[in-house]
Amino acid sequence: MTLDQFRQLAEIWGGDIDRWPAATQSPARVLATDDEARRILNEQLRLDRLFSIASDVSDHRAGRIGFAVLQGIAKEDRDPPWFGRLFRPAPLFPVASLACSAMVGLWLAGALPYQQPQQALSVVSMVFDSATVAWWGVQ
Amino acid sequence: MDELSDEKLMAAVSARQQQAFRILMGRHMQRAVRVAQRVVRNSAEADDIGQEAFLRVWSHAASFDPNVAQFTTWLYRIVLNLAFDRARRRPLVPIDEASDVRATDPEPVECLIADEERRALEQAMANLSQRQRGAIALFHMEGLSGEESAKAMNLSAKAFESLLARARATLREHVQKIQNSRRYA
Repeated sequence: MTLDQFRQLAEIWGGDIDRWPAATQSPARVLATDDEARRILNEQLRLDRLFSIASDVSDHRAGRIGFAVLQGIAKEDRDPPWFGRLFRPAPLFPVASLACSAMVGLWLAGALPYQQPQQALSVVSMVFDSATVAWWGVQ
Repeated sequence: MDELSDEKLMAAVSARQQQAFRILMGRHMQRAVRVAQRVVRNSAEADDIGQEAFLRVWSHAASFDPNVAQFTTWLYRIVLNLAFDRARRRPLVPIDEASDVRATDPEPVECLIADEERRALEQAMANLSQRQRGAIALFHMEGLSGEESAKAMNLSAKAFESLLARARATLREHVQKIQNSRRYA
């Protein structure tokens, strides 16, 4: 490793050789005994030290955000999106009962023998006849 | 449950176990907010990002694959994506670092020097791009390795290396300028 390569690596990864890519660490340590290499490392360490005094996030603040997350999850569980609401049990009751009725109707239509009882037809015609004379009729 | 690894806790989170999720939040909320704050440079927005990131962890837990990435790498990726997205939408952000209270109070003189240096760093960080700030935050402030940081930023090792090199060079130049101007002021 040349001094230029050493400088380049220090400018990328900082003054701590332990944090450099593994393959470069051993040759860098050999070179680090040189005065110029030590000066390069110290220069980079000054910048590295600034990072260590960067502000921290307090426990209280993190706890407050965590609480907000749990509230958000509880709200999502309470008010799911429209597609979630659609498949919840409560709205399915009327739909399911209608579907069951339709299925029973279809089954009865297929299972019972087809015939037109005279009595039933006369009831239907009576309803339509009465509609023509009633106030909601067309005449 | 406290002794379980992040990856095992995530399996429990996939099974909708809130206790596991609380432990994960306890372990990683601070670093998530810290990284977000480095990128967006606004504490209120960083709080929102931390909150949103963990809501995504909860809702997308099933998509986490421990064979592909560590939990922290996955979390950092979520946080950075949210932070870059916000910073893109609102490019001019005030420097806002005053709301944090330091956990341990150093001596008054040390405190002044540290505050001055911290302010210099904040001013210098403002001159970096969002991605450069992300690279500095992950590698230098969070202590991730180059490989982990590259993964979290969804970059190749080479691309991360050049991003970090440019970030450090810009930062060093601006810190120097700020310190010189204060010296002569």
